[in-house]
Amino acid sequence: MGLAVEQEFEPVIVALACNWCSYAGADLAGISRCQYPANVRIIRVMCSGMVHPNLVIEALTKGADGVVMCGCHPGDCHYQEGNLKAEKRAEAITLMLPDFGLEEERFKLAWVSASEGPQFAKLMTEFTAQVKRLGPSPYKS
Amino acid sequence: MAARLAEEWFAICGGCEVTILDIGEPLLDLLEKVQIVHMPVLMDHKLFGQTGEKTEMEIPEAEVGLISGGIRSDEHKKLAQEMRRKCKTLIALGSCACYGGIPALANLYSTEELLTKVYRESITTDKNGFPHEEVPALTDRVYSVSEVVKVDVSLPGCPTTPEMVGGALTALLEGRPFTLSTKSVCDECPTIREKKATSTLRRRLEPAEFVPGAPLNQMRCLMEQGFLCNGPATRSGCGGSEGTPRCIRAYMPCEGCFGPVSEKANPMVDMMGALSTIGLDPKQIPDRAATFNRFSGAGRLRPAPKR
Repeated sequence: MGLAVEQEFEPVIVALACNWCSYAGADLAGISRCQYPANVRIIRVMCSGMVHPNLVIEALTKGADGVVMCGCHPGDCHYQEGNLKAEKRAEAITLMLPDFGLEEERFKLAWVSASEGPQFAKLMTEFTAQVKRLGPSPYKS
Repeated sequence: MAARLAEEWFAICGGCEVTILDIGEPLLDLLEKVQIVHMPVLMDHKLFGQTGEKTEMEIPEAEVGLISGGIRSDEHKKLAQEMRRKCKTLIALGSCACYGGIPALANLYSTEELLTKVYRESITTDKNGFPHEEVPALTDRVYSVSEVVKVDVSLPGCPTTPEMVGGALTALLEGRPFTLSTKSVCDECPTIREKKATSTLRRRLEPAEFVPGAPLNQMRCLMEQGFLCNGPATRSGCGGSEGTPRCIRAYMPCEGCFGPVSEKANPMVDMMGALSTIGLDPKQIPDRAATFNRFSGAGRLRPAPKR
């Protein structure tokens, strides 16, 4: 008698976190032992404003089920206005997702400061649950 | 010994063939080095034999093959495969052959929708059903030549430039490699860029701000002036040895006719990124898929999902 173990869908989440605030916030979450799902793969970028929309679209069409873009709160960007650029680009990305057959809920822009460890963990937990409800990306055959 | 040259054209306008003529005097030297064995626009060499005696379309063997136009019918597909078999080096001439071109805008609709619109709903057409006798079937969508057969040299442009065709053919005949630029139109554009838009998005019905006759490096970047210039997402090369992109020379925003900067690039995503980065609102563009993929529809445009 074999036990059929059903593989529950575990989404692949990519978090692009800016070096100065968000990545530090994620680091603090780790040091503080705030629990959040292991589905999240964090990629450190120098500024959320350096994330080209192409990176997000490519991630979502090449294996990621959800992408979060994390940056400094408005006014706090280490490079002055990089996060504002990220905000405008995030608007463009959200507009384009349906063109690629992707649900808008697979992408999110969030502000996380260096001291917001618990908030980072909460954000990742909620986003992972949201993407899990959506199911695998349509690009996964 | 002259190199044999064969040319075919598919879903075309004929502009790229005119461009071959526009090579001008150097064409006379080039023509001495080639022997044209098949070219429908120019000579009466027939596909089914000179008296129609053959049952399959046949193209003679050639060292160089030129194909213009995208693939829109089964006949185009068969001819592309025959050209590939018979020609040692195959050149995709113009953006239609390279990326689908303007005809590939049809990929926004299913063939059913296209045929219905043209043959059933068009007020000025007698409704006699879709043509099907002696007419090759449409392919399910427009394909670029490179999607159907292996292409050795791509010459984008709508039309391509005389310098590019002449340059590519000469290089091939002399055994030298021919490569395309890997830069975008912005890299060859002399206008003043300050990375911030001075206006909201505007249509081309308004003229840009410039001094007629003044050097282009005194004009402000057209995208920053609010016009949809496809420069950031378009491969450079239309300016040739002179450098300045053709449309910019005419104080007009880049159409994007040289196609994407690289084969895997996504012009729509690049343009949406470029516009939002300088502060323009991409929500105002009613048809972004077609606007930013005007010449690169094969493989990039598909029918919009029905809501």
